Amino acid sequence: SAMAGNANTSNLLMVSGERLTGESVRHQNVVAAASIANIVKTSLGPVGLDKMLVDDVGDVTITNDGATILKLLEVEHPAAKILVELAQLQDEEVGDGTTSVVLVAAELLKNAEELMSLKIHPTTIISGYRLACREAVKFINERLVISVDDLARDNIVNAAKTSMSSKIIGCDAELFAAMAVDAAMAVRVADGKGGHRYPIKAVNVLKAHGGSTRDSVLINGYALNCTVGSVQMPKRITNAKIACLDFSLQKSKMKLGIQLVIETPEQLELMRARESDLTKERVQKIMASGANVILTTGSIDDLCMKYFVEAGAMAVRRCKKIDLKRIAKATGGQFVVSMTNLEGEESFDASLLGQAECVAQERISDDELIVIRGPKSRSAASIVLRGANDFYCDEMERSVHDALCVVKRVLEGRQLVPGGGAVEVALNIYLENYATSLASREQMAIAEFARALLCVPKQLAVNAAQDSTELLAQLRARHNASQVKKDCAAYKWFGLDLQEGKVRDNKEAGVLEPAVSKIKSLKFATEAAITILRIDDQIKLTPEAPPSHGGH
Amino acid sequence: MSGGTPVIVLNQNTKREQGRKVQLTNIQSAKTVADVIRTCLGPQAMLKMLMDPMGGIVMTNDGNAILREITVQHPAAKSMIEIARTQDEEVGDGTTSVIILAGEILAVSTAFLEQSIHPTIIITAYRQALEDMLEMASSRYSVDVDTNDTDKMHELIRTCLGTRVHTQWNQVACRIALDAVRTVHKERGSDGQAQEIDIKRYARIEKIPGGSIEDSCVLDGIMINKDVVHPQMRRRIANPRIVLLDCDLEYKKGESQTNVEIRQEEDFTRLLQLEEEYIKTVCQAVLAVKPDLVITEKGVSDLAQHYLVKAGVSVLRRLRRTDQWRVARAIGATICRNPKACTIVLRGPSKDILNEMDRSLNDALNVARNIVLKPKLCPGGGAFEMAIAHAVSEKGKALTTVHQGPYRALAAALEVIPRTLIQNCGANVIRTLTALRAKHAGTEPEDWMWGVDGETGKLRHMKADGIWEPLSVKNQVLKTATETAILLLRIDDIVSGTKKGGVEGAAAAAKAAANEAAQPAAGGDE
Repeated sequence: SAMAGNANTSNLLMVSGERLTGESVRHQNVVAAASIANIVKTSLGPVGLDKMLVDDVGDVTITNDGATILKLLEVEHPAAKILVELAQLQDEEVGDGTTSVVLVAAELLKNAEELMSLKIHPTTIISGYRLACREAVKFINERLVISVDDLARDNIVNAAKTSMSSKIIGCDAELFAAMAVDAAMAVRVADGKGGHRYPIKAVNVLKAHGGSTRDSVLINGYALNCTVGSVQMPKRITNAKIACLDFSLQKSKMKLGIQLVIETPEQLELMRARESDLTKERVQKIMASGANVILTTGSIDDLCMKYFVEAGAMAVRRCKKIDLKRIAKATGGQFVVSMTNLEGEESFDASLLGQAECVAQERISDDELIVIRGPKSRSAASIVLRGANDFYCDEMERSVHDALCVVKRVLEGRQLVPGGGAVEVALNIYLENYATSLASREQMAIAEFARALLCVPKQLAVNAAQDSTELLAQLRARHNASQVKKDCAAYKWFGLDLQEGKVRDNKEAGVLEPAVSKIKSLKFATEAAITILRIDDQIKLTPEAPPSHGGH
Repeated sequence: MSGGTPVIVLNQNTKREQGRKVQLTNIQSAKTVADVIRTCLGPQAMLKMLMDPMGGIVMTNDGNAILREITVQHPAAKSMIEIARTQDEEVGDGTTSVIILAGEILAVSTAFLEQSIHPTIIITAYRQALEDMLEMASSRYSVDVDTNDTDKMHELIRTCLGTRVHTQWNQVACRIALDAVRTVHKERGSDGQAQEIDIKRYARIEKIPGGSIEDSCVLDGIMINKDVVHPQMRRRIANPRIVLLDCDLEYKKGESQTNVEIRQEEDFTRLLQLEEEYIKTVCQAVLAVKPDLVITEKGVSDLAQHYLVKAGVSVLRRLRRTDQWRVARAIGATICRNPKACTIVLRGPSKDILNEMDRSLNDALNVARNIVLKPKLCPGGGAFEMAIAHAVSEKGKALTTVHQGPYRALAAALEVIPRTLIQNCGANVIRTLTALRAKHAGTEPEDWMWGVDGETGKLRHMKADGIWEPLSVKNQVLKTATETAILLLRIDDIVSGTKKGGVEGAAAAAKAAANEAAQPAAGGDE
């Protein structure tokens, strides 16, 4: 009969396809979301483990990062895709907490389904969830944040360590947390409103296999994985004036298909001369502006190389575009795409040049790198990661990126919350009490929202092979006390200690997370759950057969 | 709603394995890789014969070379093969040991996984143990070397190479290796440049069949396997002035596509003339600096040769760029008296022997480089591993946490090196290893230098017999092997068949695009 039904609807719609409505689509969506959460849940927390992803060519990625795992999986179900995008969004906006946001969203959906089976309308659930989310954010901001106005370095390092604890570099968190904080501090720029911004993209992370994790170094300057174009060039230039170019410096050439028809042999000679002169003039213009370091994304042919060598300048070819853009920004120069000015003539102004104290080719670990130190307008930092093999280095890069994001959030938001499930449990107690005080239909939805939050500490305990029921009970008792009794207020910092299987004061233990990332992940998870909850009809078209007519 | 159709979330081609099973298969496949090259360790190493799909045969006992040739399916095994490459690039030696050790570390971890000890605990313990091992290695279980004592260095390099190299050639190889490394060694500069020894770039090995092995030597300068382009050019020039060129001495066509329409005969002659004039001006420009020798990376036309011969200048053409670098470095500012680059000339009866000599010289060069860069040695023959294993195991007894087990297990895993050495020479493993352990438990100050004679399977005092290995190699082995084990232990889930610009993804995208293209067309029809 299902087949017949399908056939009917498809006939009515005039397209071939499948249609699912009402309860069955809701159920499917919830199952899909749960299975996505199932995939990533074992990588949550300091005792979470990694996933090995093998693609169809056989390339291997080993990672603990929720967003990376989901990005590499071939997720087909439309509702599941929303969760994958959710993780991606969290990765872009916050950079950390990608796994927990997916877990919470899936749990919210699961609880919503239970409410729906009690015949509570989805819109009621949605408005309940919205209300709960708003209250939760308010509660975090009012009661749970630890302000880092004094910018105690310890707190920032601790936040970075918390983010790394679940990663492959967890054992060396001390080293890398300090590195991440130093790197973020190095790229600090004033935002013009008395505060500072930390564009962590300016931290260049390079990878080189070999050595050991602890041989990784932070370089005070922007490191480029290139070498000077010619061995005769100087390897060190102080008071560098840097030109960042996005074109090749080679003999100019007519575009393909253009033919020059020449009448006399002299013209040929002239044309040849012009070809080399064109580039020569360019080089001369660049040199005339005072540049002594030339970085380009394109190539530099031998002829131009010679001009630079003679001028005692350093020229580097085939740099990455993204690197040059950052260098231009850091040195106060401009990334020059073309030398043509508004009048249609070629010119190169000295104002396009960036400046730095020193540009040098240095040997770091085993590689020759070009390091730009002391750039004029903002400082730069680079991290060179070492590890046993390429998979190791890749995963280190992802972990360091997460840590950098966390440091940035802490430094910019200046607010921390305790980690290890403390926030979730505190919210759970608070929202449950709040729900009881509310005499409307939303009450149940808010209570379910509160219950869903517990999935994070629960999963943390499960991953650590601890008794989650027992630990959660202890933790909830502490937080309840902290919210009802005046003299127990300090209990609100209590979270899980997963190594020992106990509850402890996580503020004291230094397990901290940026408040922004907690708040954002709550909001994102709620929004994603609501998006999926609103669906009550799914129409899937069967892919049309490719047009077989050969007319056009 | 109950039951119902299964919900398909992932692509159905995706395979997924989880939990304990994944951990155990990872360990199994790592062990399999280690087993392949287990017999390649030590002086009694056997060769492996590898057949490639084309039917070609490679015979070698170099761990890295073997693993490069074999194709593996399992992702964990791939990770193992990668580390042999890392080791090779980093120190150029110890590729077999690193694989065997990584395999063993994983193997000892199985017991803990089966006892349900969480991988993160094992990993933390391993990390701690690695730190302690490295610390002990450089503070207690290694000896310093004076790199300026030439005789001593020769002796050391020879013993480090051990039996890897053909005996007759041994002496020569050591001498050459040390000379070459010293020549290209650049001290820590005043401008903050780290000291460097770049063998690959600045020490070139040229093989010339003929002569005897003893005739091989390090040339104090550069040898280029090229002849002058014109027979009348001078072949020996004392105190030459050399011009290095990176350009043609030929007429080059323009870059843009050009057609010349010629109407008169004179025009054609004129064209040819122009080409000649061009060469003439270029040659004159070169000759203006009064060189005796011109070396270029590119070509030299006949006409240019003519001009240069007339001026009494010798020309070498079509040099490799790397050669050019070496020439530049050698003759640069220091005028050939104190060159920082060199060429090694190998002589030998046949090409095969030369190739073999080349390989072993590379080992010798690496050893020499490692010692000069980090002048610390540790005893070979498994003595170093045994000593570290003993010390770490003792230290681990003081640990009160659950980490004690894995911590001491890592120490025990190190015994795989002496054990494999004993196995490979066919001695009684248990008896010899027990005897060795007893030696290391002794109280004499140099008891830790007892190791295994890889040929006889007897115990030997490594210092007395002078069997040494560079510490940097051992350190890298420890680091790489432990970190790989950590990487693999952390995995609890393998998903295969994921996208990443896969063929299917592309096909689906193409289909989607086709659909999109089809839809507006349909709309137009209505």
